[in-house]
Amino acid sequence: MSNPLLSVVDLKVHFPTNDGIVKATDGLSYTLERGKTLGIVGESGSGKSVSSSAIMGLHRGTNAHVSGQILLDGVDLLQLSNEDMRKHRGKEVAMIFQDPLSAMHPYYTVGNQIGEAYRVHHDVSKKAARARTIEMLERVGIPQPDRRVDDYPHQFSGGMRQRAMIAMGLINNPALLIADEPTTALDVTVQAQILDLLQDLQRDFDAGIIIITHDLGVVAEMADDVLVMYAGRAVEYGTTKEILTHPEMPYTWGLISSIPDVAGDTSARLIPIPGNPPSLLQPPTGCAFHPRCTHRDKVPGNLCVTTLPELVPGQRSEGHLKRCHIPDPDAVYEREVLPEIAPDLVEER
Amino acid sequence: MIAYAIRRLLIGALLILALTFVTYVLFFAVPSDPAKQACGKNCNEEQIEQTRIALGYDQPWITQWTEFLKGIVQGRQYPADEELRANNPKLVTDCEAPCLGFSFVNQQTVNKILSGALPISASIAIVALVIWVTGGVLFGILAAMTKGSFLDRGLVGLTLIAYAFPSFFIGKFLITYVSIKWGLVDYPAYQTIADGGFFGWLSALFLPALTLALLYMAGYVRITRSYVLESLGEDYIRTAKSKGVTQRVLVSKHALRAALTPLVTLIGLDFATLLGGALITENVFAYNGLGVIALQAFAADDLPTMVGLVILVGTFVIVANIIVDILYAVIDPRVRLG
Amino acid sequence: MPNYLKRMFAVGAAGALALSLAACGGDGDSDNPSSGESSDSAEATAGGTLYYLQHYPFESADPQRIYYGLELANFRRTIYRGLVAFPVTEDPVEAAKPVADLATDTGTPNEDASEWSFTLKDGIKWEDGSDITCEDFAYGASRVFANDLITGGPNYILSYLDVKDYPGPYKATEAQQAAFDKAITCDGKTITYHFNKPWADFPLAAASLSMMDPYKKDFDEGAKSTWKVLANGPYKVEGGVWDKNKGATLVRNDQYDAATDDPSLREALPDTIEYQINPSDTSVELIIDRVIADAGNDQYAVAAPTIPPTRYSQIQGPAKDRAVLTDSPYNFYLLPNFKSMTNPDVRKALAAAVDIEGVVKARGGEYAATTAESIVNFGVGGYQDNPAFAGPNTGDVEAAKALLEGSGEKMPYPITFTYSKTDTNDKIAAVLKENWDAAGFETKLDPLTDTYYDVISKPEKESDVMMAGWGADWPSAMTVIPPLFDSRPNFSSTTCGQDYGCYQDADFEKIVDQAANSTDIDEQNGYLQQADEKLGEDTAYIPLYVLKNYYIRGSKVTGYVVTPSTSMYPDLGAIGVEH
Repeated sequence: MSNPLLSVVDLKVHFPTNDGIVKATDGLSYTLERGKTLGIVGESGSGKSVSSSAIMGLHRGTNAHVSGQILLDGVDLLQLSNEDMRKHRGKEVAMIFQDPLSAMHPYYTVGNQIGEAYRVHHDVSKKAARARTIEMLERVGIPQPDRRVDDYPHQFSGGMRQRAMIAMGLINNPALLIADEPTTALDVTVQAQILDLLQDLQRDFDAGIIIITHDLGVVAEMADDVLVMYAGRAVEYGTTKEILTHPEMPYTWGLISSIPDVAGDTSARLIPIPGNPPSLLQPPTGCAFHPRCTHRDKVPGNLCVTTLPELVPGQRSEGHLKRCHIPDPDAVYEREVLPEIAPDLVEER
Repeated sequence: MIAYAIRRLLIGALLILALTFVTYVLFFAVPSDPAKQACGKNCNEEQIEQTRIALGYDQPWITQWTEFLKGIVQGRQYPADEELRANNPKLVTDCEAPCLGFSFVNQQTVNKILSGALPISASIAIVALVIWVTGGVLFGILAAMTKGSFLDRGLVGLTLIAYAFPSFFIGKFLITYVSIKWGLVDYPAYQTIADGGFFGWLSALFLPALTLALLYMAGYVRITRSYVLESLGEDYIRTAKSKGVTQRVLVSKHALRAALTPLVTLIGLDFATLLGGALITENVFAYNGLGVIALQAFAADDLPTMVGLVILVGTFVIVANIIVDILYAVIDPRVRLG
Repeated sequence: MPNYLKRMFAVGAAGALALSLAACGGDGDSDNPSSGESSDSAEATAGGTLYYLQHYPFESADPQRIYYGLELANFRRTIYRGLVAFPVTEDPVEAAKPVADLATDTGTPNEDASEWSFTLKDGIKWEDGSDITCEDFAYGASRVFANDLITGGPNYILSYLDVKDYPGPYKATEAQQAAFDKAITCDGKTITYHFNKPWADFPLAAASLSMMDPYKKDFDEGAKSTWKVLANGPYKVEGGVWDKNKGATLVRNDQYDAATDDPSLREALPDTIEYQINPSDTSVELIIDRVIADAGNDQYAVAAPTIPPTRYSQIQGPAKDRAVLTDSPYNFYLLPNFKSMTNPDVRKALAAAVDIEGVVKARGGEYAATTAESIVNFGVGGYQDNPAFAGPNTGDVEAAKALLEGSGEKMPYPITFTYSKTDTNDKIAAVLKENWDAAGFETKLDPLTDTYYDVISKPEKESDVMMAGWGADWPSAMTVIPPLFDSRPNFSSTTCGQDYGCYQDADFEKIVDQAANSTDIDEQNGYLQQADEKLGEDTAYIPLYVLKNYYIRGSKVTGYVVTPSTSMYPDLGAIGVEH
């Protein structure tokens, strides 16, 4: 096995507060191969964005305690000096954000902001940077890029802004692109275009992509692998196909249940996950999901409340990891969950 | 943008007109009698009445107001007595348009009083502005960038102390200790650039401007700090950071530019108000600017000077508002003036 | 109405008394010692620059319009000479005796003192080199009448001068001017004033006030002349214009001939007198601090304000040697409202309960005030303690209670005490209320701010007792008792004028008339003593305190002296500087 592009090992991001330590990410490990896409899924507060920000080194200069290893091409980003990390940012690893309007500075032109990303890492003239910017804008599908380059962000539509953000992220040809909810703020029709664009560009640039989302639909379309997070920890990890067809963790079931229109079947029901995301300051004992879990009756005794389940291989393959005490989850899923949300799929299986 | 400015100026002129009207109404609503006060000791009713005529307070107030407005347009003469002008022209004062009135207390046209006092107030305001904006913004950024550190807490603490002391206290302290007891600087006395040269002018302004600036600076440190912190928390700062820009560029190019917008508004309005006279500071240092003129006008029931001040200060504030709005459009491309 | 007092209160207690109007006062009473003696160690010689630090602006530099006591005192010694002037002396009796100044003697009255003649000296000149003529004197006096064009200033001659319906020189018809020219006549260098009634104390008025001073017609621009100065004394104003808020520099007047002057009036020692006016509210303490520090030019400085209580503790060591405590010419007193407190026993009870010593303490103690025994100041000619207030000054609550019980009025007797609101007056009011309430009154305090004197001059008002203050315009009770208690010049349909208690008594007014018609000052003073006694019997007023002046100067000031001749201000006639 060759070295993966990115290898995150036992990543912890803890925020000390007056009331105690908030463990936003607590022992996260995953890998990502070059040219592949990892989807990280979870509710807000699950630690998906915090862990990605750690890769960008965005917690530096704050009071967060970050530990573990983040190996990018074999280099541990956590060991880099602030200046070396700054040089990595935007060059080796880039990030695009959820709301492109607020993510772009309202007072500077789109071209200025994209060009800045290039000039930070390349000692070139403004003119050269501008040419490169126009080229990138064209590449992401902005019409009349030589004119629009001088527009301000508020003069762009939402989709165009996100395209511009993508251009900004990819202008230095980074090995890794982190896309944090890249389509959440966009119209449905535009969402698909952006996702297509990302896939398209990934092929050209051969970049690894981490796509952070709460939407399994996006994952289904984009990701090779999926990491499901809950309360700062991975609760299920595996290939997209495996996770979507044979999820073994009730939280993942809940996520699947809440995908609208999994297979275009209008009879499918949208079932929200009951309850609220847990407090990270005082997370529930045992399995953090237990207060919201509707399948605790399948676990003998009080195990869910007392003992944190290990992340262990699932029933079907070694690569499929899950964190759950339920003895035969695949059967439970097939018997109890699937008929509820997608009756037609039951027959297919 | 020019059309916009003109429209704003016209609205402003109407506003000032209304302000002068209110000033007249309030002045005549107060039951004190300026004629009685001006006439002095042992005056009988008849003499007080004559004084009232001399002061121009004998006419109905609405007539006084319209006469005043006429004077702005076509000028006036004091006293408006054709016979006296024919016999004793030396006694008549001509007040050319735009005539803001004639202060009988000071025996001068209001225009002259204001134009004599304005340079003093403006000098204090300008020097103070330079001190407080430079200091306030720099220390504010410093505090924001070192948020939570000893330095930040120290700066914030100092601003609280500066707030707690009223400016007359600071002014008196500076005079009493720095000037009188320690003899570090000369006792401050205003001199013009023509008299004392630029440095003479500046050194005479140092203590009063510092007094004024300290208070404002305290405010500006806190405001700048919070604006910079606020803008440092914006998504676009995270974006810029993700691009790999240096901390210096992050603050100076990205964070400060956004924090500048509200600061410019504050600076514009504070400066405009100060042009109208720093009441306490001018008083403590005996710099006879518009603030001192205003206090004297109120103490002496000097309506013409009061109205003149209202017009002047009103104009400053309105013009400052327009300039601030135009600057807004320059700073923030999202704002387009129409 | 004493608008000067309104302004006094407006600037606060510390700077108060110097803002007052013309007054002459002195130390007539041996019970009230003062330490106004000159204490110069260095020899007084001519030369150098004196700095005069003043804490409020003047109202005018026009001799006919000046009314501030400080300004009259200082200008008389420096830029404006009069027919007569008071000599530099600390003896209050001598200080109230005018000395010939521009005139050759102190004036010759006719039999009933309704005509006064003076002859002008030779060689007296304006600063422009022209002679000062009899006509200049007549013109100056005529300007007082033009109070529709130039306002303010003392107006006594309007009621004394024997001319009717004269509008002043600017608007007079030929006939009106001719009538005026009969009231003041010139015969070469001899000027004669014709009054419509006796004016026994006219020379005192001419010495104290500058309303009778000469004015050069060519120089006159009416109201526009407010700040222009054409000097005739040993000094002139550099640049010719007084800067209201800044002051001026007085330099030697080369047209002044000391030979025409009397050495007892002005020694004119400094070559230059630099006035530094600080019109701010905080100026009193700043000026006093500078002079206490005694550094640089402040060593040559005379401070106009009196030392405020906040600085008493710093007057020690060398600073103490440079400080002087004297009486001031200002008396403060209570006035019962005769429209509401009609029962004389109630007024007597009110007076008996007043703890004057407590009031003095509230006012700031021995450096700020001393107990008063009359409404007349110690320095005024013919001063005597008013026998009606002879008792102890600590307030006799029991006696007051007995008087009130004997008055037949229902008790507690409700009264409203109106006063001008300041921190000090609040304290004084509390002292008064305590005793009054203990004596059977029920006192409601009614502090007023800006419009105080407008309110208390009204005939119909809530007030039962009021507080006021007064200083004489010249050292005669004629400028105290009639203006404050004679109903005839004061009352009209809408006001009681300066007679705030609306006191009106035929017997009293008869005595006042006798005083007014006296041809001799001593006779006049006798009647005025009687009038004051009558006021005491009626409890028309209750004396409280006389303010004190507590002055300080720089260490290089010579000949420093505070005299009754200059209304108990530092006397620039004798003051010089080391150089």
